[in-house]
Amino acid sequence: MPVAASAIYFLNLRGDVLINRLYRDDVGGNMVDAFRMHIMQTKELGTCPVRQIGGCSFFYMRISNVYIVIVVSSNANVACAFKFVVEAVTLFKSYFGGAFDEDAIRNNFVLIYELLDEIMDFGYPQNLSPEILKLYITQEGVRSPFSSKPADKPVPNATLQVTGAVGWRREGLAYKKNEVFLDIVESVNLLMSSKGSVLRCDVTGKILMKCFLSGMPDLKLGLNDKIGLEKESQLKSRPTKSGKTIELDDVTFHQCVNLTRFNSEKTVSFVPPDGEFELMKYRITEGVNLPFRVLPTIKELGRTRMEVNVKVKSVFGAKMFALGVVVKIPVPKQTAKTNFQVTSGRAKYNAAIDCLVWKIRKFPGQTEPTLSAEIELISTIAEKKSSTRPPIQMEFQVPMFTASGLRVRFLKVWEKSGYNTVEWVRYITKAGSYEIRC
Amino acid sequence: MALSGMRGLSVFISEIRNCQNKEQERLRVDKELGNVRTRFKNEKGLTHYEKKKYVWKVLYIYMLGYDVDFGHMEAVSLISAPKYPEKQVGYIVTSCLLNENHEFLRLAINTVRNDIIGRNETFQCLALTLVGNIGGREFAESLAPDVQKLLISSSCRPLVRKKAALCLLRLYRKNPDVVNVDGWSDRMAQLLDERDLGVLTSSTSLLVALVSNNHDSYWSCLPKCIKILERLARNQDVPPEYTYYGIPSPWLQVKAMRALQYFPTIEDPNARRSLFEVLQRILMGTDVVKNVNKNNASHAVLFEALALVMHLDAEKEMMSQCVALLGKFISGREPNIRYLGLENMTRMLMVTDVQDIIKRHQDQIITLLKDPDISIRRRALDLLYGMCDVSNAKNIVEELLQYLSTADFAMREELSLKAAILAEKFAPDLSWYVDVILQLIDKAGDFVSDDIWFRVVQFVTNNEDLQPYAAVKAREYLDKPAIHETMVKVSAHLLGEYSHLLARRPGCSPKEIFSIIHEKLPTVSTSTIPILLSTYAKILMHTQPADPELQNQIWAIFTKYESCIDVEIQQRAVEYFALSRKGATLMDILAEMPKFPERQSALIKKAEDTEADTADQSVIKLRAQQQTSNALVVTDPRPANGAPTMNQLSLVKMPSMSNVDHNSADQGVTQENGTLSIVDPQPPTPSNGDFLDLLGPLAIEGPPGASVQSEHNLVSQVESSSNAEERLAIAPVGEQENTVQPIGNIAERFHALCLKDSGVLYEDPYIQIGTKAEWRAHQGRLILFLGNKNTAPLVSVQALILSPSHLKIELSLVPETIPPRAQVQCPLEVVNVHPSRDVAVLDFSYKFGTYVVNVKLRLPAVINKFLQPISVSADEFFPQWRSLSGPPLKLQEVVRGVRPMSLMEMANLFNSFRFMVSPGLDPNPNNLVASTTFYSESTRAMLCLIRIETDPADTTQLRMTVASGDPMLTFELKEFVKEQLVSIPTASGAPAPVPPQAQPSSSPTALSDPGAMLAGLL
Repeated sequence: MPVAASAIYFLNLRGDVLINRLYRDDVGGNMVDAFRMHIMQTKELGTCPVRQIGGCSFFYMRISNVYIVIVVSSNANVACAFKFVVEAVTLFKSYFGGAFDEDAIRNNFVLIYELLDEIMDFGYPQNLSPEILKLYITQEGVRSPFSSKPADKPVPNATLQVTGAVGWRREGLAYKKNEVFLDIVESVNLLMSSKGSVLRCDVTGKILMKCFLSGMPDLKLGLNDKIGLEKESQLKSRPTKSGKTIELDDVTFHQCVNLTRFNSEKTVSFVPPDGEFELMKYRITEGVNLPFRVLPTIKELGRTRMEVNVKVKSVFGAKMFALGVVVKIPVPKQTAKTNFQVTSGRAKYNAAIDCLVWKIRKFPGQTEPTLSAEIELISTIAEKKSSTRPPIQMEFQVPMFTASGLRVRFLKVWEKSGYNTVEWVRYITKAGSYEIRC
Repeated sequence: MALSGMRGLSVFISEIRNCQNKEQERLRVDKELGNVRTRFKNEKGLTHYEKKKYVWKVLYIYMLGYDVDFGHMEAVSLISAPKYPEKQVGYIVTSCLLNENHEFLRLAINTVRNDIIGRNETFQCLALTLVGNIGGREFAESLAPDVQKLLISSSCRPLVRKKAALCLLRLYRKNPDVVNVDGWSDRMAQLLDERDLGVLTSSTSLLVALVSNNHDSYWSCLPKCIKILERLARNQDVPPEYTYYGIPSPWLQVKAMRALQYFPTIEDPNARRSLFEVLQRILMGTDVVKNVNKNNASHAVLFEALALVMHLDAEKEMMSQCVALLGKFISGREPNIRYLGLENMTRMLMVTDVQDIIKRHQDQIITLLKDPDISIRRRALDLLYGMCDVSNAKNIVEELLQYLSTADFAMREELSLKAAILAEKFAPDLSWYVDVILQLIDKAGDFVSDDIWFRVVQFVTNNEDLQPYAAVKAREYLDKPAIHETMVKVSAHLLGEYSHLLARRPGCSPKEIFSIIHEKLPTVSTSTIPILLSTYAKILMHTQPADPELQNQIWAIFTKYESCIDVEIQQRAVEYFALSRKGATLMDILAEMPKFPERQSALIKKAEDTEADTADQSVIKLRAQQQTSNALVVTDPRPANGAPTMNQLSLVKMPSMSNVDHNSADQGVTQENGTLSIVDPQPPTPSNGDFLDLLGPLAIEGPPGASVQSEHNLVSQVESSSNAEERLAIAPVGEQENTVQPIGNIAERFHALCLKDSGVLYEDPYIQIGTKAEWRAHQGRLILFLGNKNTAPLVSVQALILSPSHLKIELSLVPETIPPRAQVQCPLEVVNVHPSRDVAVLDFSYKFGTYVVNVKLRLPAVINKFLQPISVSADEFFPQWRSLSGPPLKLQEVVRGVRPMSLMEMANLFNSFRFMVSPGLDPNPNNLVASTTFYSESTRAMLCLIRIETDPADTTQLRMTVASGDPMLTFELKEFVKEQLVSIPTASGAPAPVPPQAQPSSSPTALSDPGAMLAGLL
């Protein structure tokens, strides 16, 4: 196991240290000043997440208004370090109840120190699972074992759970109402040329689950993916049903998924952890249904005037609708005045990001609103050519639509007590980096 | 400032200041920039107030470090606003946002000019500030005269004149060639009579700049400067607002004294006396007081006065007074004052006869070596080093050695190097030198560079008397329990070479010597082991016939190192082992080291390299050059020695034996050899074709006498001059000392410069001489740019103009020394008296290092520079042409062997000679008619006409007719053009035998034709 960190710092956007923990003494305590001087206060901030200054490596990422910086001086495993940061943040979020920002850190100093002590030892990452850590790092008071009153429930035994067969699930859970929630969340990444041909397109998806189930249930999930269907038809010796089958790439599962059974039967079966977790992640590169088409025309009229026309076409079903659609059309830096005409939504010029921002709150399927804008530019001394035209960016969310076409065929729950469960399934497609060159 | 009214601006600034982080700030700035863009784009136009507000914002954003590439137009337009607040913004923002190369500034020039010549003095001040701050060429060209006018106008308020003086100073510093300061000496003198001290201070600054460039024309200012000093220092005639802590305007005093230092010397006894009186008063009147500011001011004046005293070579009494004063400073309590005292004393060393007086303070200076402040210790060390000579060397070096053991680690290396150099330079006897160096190595072994002990070895090797003494000393040091590795190296080498000289002494038998050296072997590094091996071999050699026990011991060592991983050690071990088996022949093979050829001390060279080029250190360098080391190695140079460049410490001549540990010394040797080969006074073999070629262009520039002589020989001038060239080309070979090869062909450069006004005249590896010329009628101004291309200064620079009789040339003073990588400008004034083709010659010489370079260069002040193209219409041309009938006013010649060129090319050539080619005047398309005006003092403006008739069938010949109102001019011009047409250097120089069939007026055309008229006239 390689070293992941010699020290970890949490900084706010100004560069003040909120909290820090040194794991090894091979980096000085003042290395964070070097980070502040040479990374935060320069224009390079955000260009490269790994920087080396003065014999130390700095790995940093920004989460809301906090910079998390890992400093190492040895040859560390960068991927491990970043994975550690990401996991630590999910851990903190689960402790703080969702939010992770400067205020949350300021309100939970003691807890964070306690967690930081626990999740890493001498630079080596330790158990980061919230379920287990919550057993012994608690936020409530703990009853003393010598107290006269007997405990209401047995004190959970962390050792047993960590070393047991199902390390991620506690025994003896009981719910009145047994429910399972399953969300398929996909984000579409697209790069389209100005002529409308797709240059790069893929979908990254994840299946999120929330389980409130009693006992030790065994779950089985069936999707309309290619491998699973083929195996099934092979087993049942009947041809595949007509309809689309999806080829999933790069599938990764949560540790609870039984991989031997997946390898032999190609079914996803697992004993779920209690509460929220991410069951699997996948990627799809072929057969992507793009939810939107963007048709831009940008004309330069002389040196100080431009005309922008953008038509956005929704290609999903007419009954569905997209939410929170934002189209960002970059304009030159010297834009002085803008005039808009839109058929729906609202548009304005944002000088801070040099974009025309067009927002449509609710965007029904099979419609095509347009924006036309007249832009006046101010003359500058540096006659730059307008060849550097960044792509148009788009943000959206389309509920009940999957760009990949993935569907849940079944979700079976089996428990020895044989209770009834309620299953909820949702789909949502979001924009990743959805860019159209113009 | 007038920000109070602008709420938007102050809100914006406070918002920026309240930003939590850089990102927020950027967002805010981008938003504001968007807003400002919208405002500026607004069709309705902005009021002056709004414009002012937004331009302030733009400036603020620009100052925060964001790129702002718009709004310049608005800023510039504010300059022309009628009210002060707007105008001020315009000026400030323009001078911040724009630099001198900006095109927008052109728009502003006119407005700025209007403000300058206007009546409103606040506007004048703003405009002058802008011009001074931006100071571009265009500004200088168009506004300098106005600024000059302001400066001397009596109607202006002092405030404006003060700013005008400073503005002019800035313009002059930036573009000295543009600002016309001719005839300014009188005005400067007038300005120095000014009563107002503010104006006076600024004009003195201007004077300093002017005088530093050319002091000659400002002699009239010298008494005025003295008068100012008298007024300030003696009469104390100063308004109270110009006194600073009771000192009458220290700035003005300093400037006046600085200006005086630019004059070479002051001859006028009266002026000298009064100046010395003032200086005396300053020297006497300065005292150390409590108040720091007062001290600073009075010391600034004092030290400038000291510099002036040194510059003027005052009589000894005054000098000793200065030194006494500095002595008081040295013993002062304030560290700053001690420092200043030491520094200035080091400067004083430059003056020759005060050293004895300085020496009186020697003890004081030595105690300063223990000052708590390291910068003072360093100064003290420098001063001691500088003041050391034969009389006090022993004392000082001993002090330094004593100090070495307590000195700061940061200083030890420098200290040991300096001690070593002083010991070498001023050693009363050589044994003392050896003592000192051995002590040095003993005390500060880590800081003693290899050069130092190499030098000891050189000395000992070259002085036989010294050898036993050195060996004894080395033996004594080896007895010490722990010695530095460098000491092991020295002693091992010395004992290896010379231990046989002490064989009789107790404890010095070969065996004992071997064992004591061998004790050190386990403790030394790989760079020392080869030296020890050599020592063993030498010991073995000296004990022939060998003592078997010793021999076995040594052989065992050699065998042990035969498989050493270090190649050098291994090779030595193997070779010595094999050699030592040769028995008695060993004596010949391992004979004593031959003496070293005499060479410059590597130490001094190193010290020179390491020294920064500060004033006081250059003094030391100067002194180092003056005093030749009297302990220099006494040696008989042995050119007959088979291998004089052999490695210093290798025992036998073995090319394969590359001494790793002597690398630095070897480099020294090769370097010196390198320079030697250049310095070598033997000229390269004469009668070498290349060499003659090389000298050819130099020789052409030979003494003007030759060409004057040839002037009388009217008929065969070309031939004779070429003969003269040949004669001259042979002559200098013997005496030519410089073997510095010019870069590029000098003759070609000259020809190119005949046709254009600026370019490179001469270049060699050390210097580049460029010229730039302006010609107006019969006068010209030619600037020589002498650029030193090296990191060392060029010294003994001399430039002499050998001008022919028809040119009056005045060369301003050429500085003696050109500092490293600097360029010096020497303006030349040229006046043309009468027409002649002769050229002026610049006799230029300089010294670089050890050799002198002398070149003679033709100056491109040729006849065509005094021509002014003029276009002549057919109506004017023909009467003129006709009126100038026949020789000597009109001359005709058939020129053969012309460089073939098309008519177009020829027309271009004539244009570049400043002839105006008039096409279509001559009906024959193969002919060419050109006209020009010639200016000289005797002829004034004189119209010259020229006609060239070419033969399309044979481009190598043509007929040329030249006409003018002056016979001499006609002749000279004809010859000049002929030379240019014939002698332009090209490969095809060989004149083909031309059939002698000239075609006089071969075009029979009708007489009504103007061409025919022309032909008839011919």
